Amino acid sequence: MDLTGDTATALPDARLFLLPRAKSFLTVVISTVVLVLACLLFAPSSVTWGALSGSLPFAAIIAIVGLGQLLVVQQGGFDLSLAGGVSLAVVISTHYPQGDNALLLPAVLMAVACAILAGLVNGVLVSLFRLNAIVATIGVNALLYGAVFAVSGGVPKTTTTLLAAIAGGQTAGLPNAVYFALATLVVFSFVSKKTVAGRRFEAIGDNPLAARSAGLRVRHHQLLAYVYAQLLYCMAGVLVAGITREPTAFQGNSLLLPSVAVVVLGGTSLLGGRGFPVSTVIAAFFLNQLSQFALAVGVPYSAQTIIQALALGFGIGVYSVRWTANLFKQTKPTLKGGNNEVLG
Amino acid sequence: MKFSAKRKLAFAAAAAVAALGCSNLALADTPSWCGPKQATLALLDGYGGNSWRQVTTASGKEEALKCPSITKYEYADGQGDTQKSISDIKAMAAKGIDALVVFPDAGPAMLPAITSVYKSGKVIVPYRVEAGGKPGVNYNKFIGTDFKNDGINWANWIKGVLPNGGNLLFLSGPAGNSQGLDELAGLKSVLGPEYKFLNPEPFDVTNWDPALTQKVLTAEIAKNPKIDVIVSDFGPSLVGALPLFEKSGRSIPALATSDGNSLGCFWTDHHKNNPDFKLFTVSTENDNVRLAVQWAVAAATGGTPPTEEIFKGPVFENSVTGQPNPVQCRSDLPGAIYLSAQLPAEKQAAAVNSK
Repeated sequence: MDLTGDTATALPDARLFLLPRAKSFLTVVISTVVLVLACLLFAPSSVTWGALSGSLPFAAIIAIVGLGQLLVVQQGGFDLSLAGGVSLAVVISTHYPQGDNALLLPAVLMAVACAILAGLVNGVLVSLFRLNAIVATIGVNALLYGAVFAVSGGVPKTTTTLLAAIAGGQTAGLPNAVYFALATLVVFSFVSKKTVAGRRFEAIGDNPLAARSAGLRVRHHQLLAYVYAQLLYCMAGVLVAGITREPTAFQGNSLLLPSVAVVVLGGTSLLGGRGFPVSTVIAAFFLNQLSQFALAVGVPYSAQTIIQALALGFGIGVYSVRWTANLFKQTKPTLKGGNNEVLG
Repeated sequence: MKFSAKRKLAFAAAAAVAALGCSNLALADTPSWCGPKQATLALLDGYGGNSWRQVTTASGKEEALKCPSITKYEYADGQGDTQKSISDIKAMAAKGIDALVVFPDAGPAMLPAITSVYKSGKVIVPYRVEAGGKPGVNYNKFIGTDFKNDGINWANWIKGVLPNGGNLLFLSGPAGNSQGLDELAGLKSVLGPEYKFLNPEPFDVTNWDPALTQKVLTAEIAKNPKIDVIVSDFGPSLVGALPLFEKSGRSIPALATSDGNSLGCFWTDHHKNNPDFKLFTVSTENDNVRLAVQWAVAAATGGTPPTEEIFKGPVFENSVTGQPNPVQCRSDLPGAIYLSAQLPAEKQAAAVNSK
C-alpha cells in the first residue's frame, strides 16, 4: 500500500498495473497463466481433463487450508497447528465410523467440536495470554497429535463409502472438493469484504493499536481467527479422508508448507492486515499445477524438486521483489546526483 | 469298515506319536531355536505408527512367546525420532533385557548404539533395514529381506501375463530408498528391453503416502495412454488412486504388488468391470520379524539358530492361476491388515484396532 505509493510516483505510467487492488491478483494470475502455457508446451498431459480432475481435489484442499492460514496471517499470526488439526479431522472421520456410513455425521460433528476446541486454545494462548503465535501453535500441534495417536494409534483406516462419494465424487463434471473450496472462498470473501465484522477484522490485522483506539474488540477478533482457521482445517481433513480412501494418520504434515506458500503467493503480508482470498485460491491451483507439471515432464525426482523450488521462487519473486521500485531507486538518485550517500 | 494294512500302520504311528507328544507336551511344543536358558527379550521399533508395524509387533510377540524360556517381552516405539530410538535401545539394555530385536529405521545412525549394546554382552539382532557394520563385531546377526526376490517374482508373473512385452510403471517409496532399488534390480534381471519402464529412473517417488501416490498416478495416467502393468511395493496405497483409470474411461491395468486386505477387497469389487485388472501379490513380509526373533532367542537361550539367514517374502495371491492363493478379501475386518501374515486375521484386527 505505501509500497505502491512510491512505485506509483516513480513510474506514473505503470500506475494502472500497480494499483494495490490489482497487484497481487494480477501477479498470481500472470504466474498461473505462464505456468499453464508452460504445461501446454512441455507437459501437455498435465492439463488434460483426466489429469485435472484427478489433481484438482488436491488443489482444493490446499486452497481450503490456505484460506485458514490466511485468516491467522491477517492477524499477524502464524498457525503451525494446521498439521495436527487436519490429521485429527482425518482420523476422527475415518476411525470413529469404522466404515459405517450411519456414523459419519456424528464423526464429522466430533471433528468439528475438536476443531473449535483447538482453535479456542490457540486463540486464548495467543490473544489473551500474548504468547508468540509460533510457540503457542507448535504446542497445540503437539497436543493435537497426541489426540491423533489416542484416536488412531497412528494406523490408517479405510474411509466410509459415503465420505468417499461425497469428497471424492464429481458433480456436473467437476470434483466435489472443488465446490467445497469455491463455497469457502465465496463465504470468506463476502464476510471479510462486505460485512462490518469482516472489515473490522482486516482493520485490526492491519493495525491493532489504531483499531483498539477506535474501540474495536481486538482480542476477540484475533481469538476467533484461530477458531475459524481450525474449522477450515477440519473441513480439509474430512475431505482428504474421503479423497484418499485410506489416508495415513499424518496426512496434515504435507499441507503446512503449501498453506503458507499460497498465502504468500496470494500477496498477503506476513505482518498481517489485508487478505487476498481469491489470489490465495488461485495460488493453490498454481502450486498444485506446478507439482503436476514437474511430475508430467517425467524428469527424475531430484529435478522435479528443483523445478518446483525455482517456479515457486519465481512466483514469490514476481510479487514480493519490487522490481520497478528497485530499478528506479537505483537509477533515480544517480540522475539527481544523489548517490553521494552511498559513496560517502 | 475295513482298513488297509497301510492305513493301520499309519494309525498306529499316529497313536504312538500322540502318546509321546502327550507324555512330554512342553518339550514337543518348544521350537528348536528355543534353548533352556531363561532370558528377556525386547522389540525396538524405529517407527511404530502404522498398521504394518502393529501387525509386525504382534507377530514378533507371538513368536517370542512360543519359547517358554522367554520370561519377559517388552516393546518400545522410537516414533520416527532417531534420538529416541537410540535412547530406547540403551534404556532397554540398561534395564537388563538380555536380547534386543531392532528395526533400525534410521539406518547407519543407529549403528553406534547397536554396537555398544553388543559390546556390553547383550544379544542384538537388527532386521529389515541395514545399519551397516558386521555380524560378530557390531551385532549378532542382521536379518535382511530379499527385496530382489520380490522383483523377480513380479517379473516372472508379468512375463506370464504379457509375454510380448509392454509398458510398466514402477512406484516405490521415498527417493533412492534401497528397497525400491533392489526390487528394480530383480525386475530388470528378468525383464528384457521389450518391457518399457514409463516412470522416471529408477522409480516414481510416492513416499508410500496415499495422497502423493494419487497425485503421481494422476500425472502418469494422463501422460501415458497405454499402461499395461503397474508394479508397486506397497499395494494398499494404490487403492485410492486406481479409480482414476475408471474415471478416465480406461480399464485398471494388471497390478504386481504386495498384499493388503483393502487391496484384495478392492480387486474383488472392481475386477468385473475392468477386464485388464489382474492382480499378483507377494507377501507384505510381516513375518520377517519372526525370523529375527528366532535368531535373537536362539542366541540368548542357547537354542539352535534357524537355517535361514535372509527373509524371502513368499508369493501370496495370483488372480490368474489362483496359485498359491486366489485373491483374498475379508470385508468384515479392517482394510489395514495383511492376510499373508502368519498371525491370524482376527488377531491382526485386534492389534490394529487396539487403539
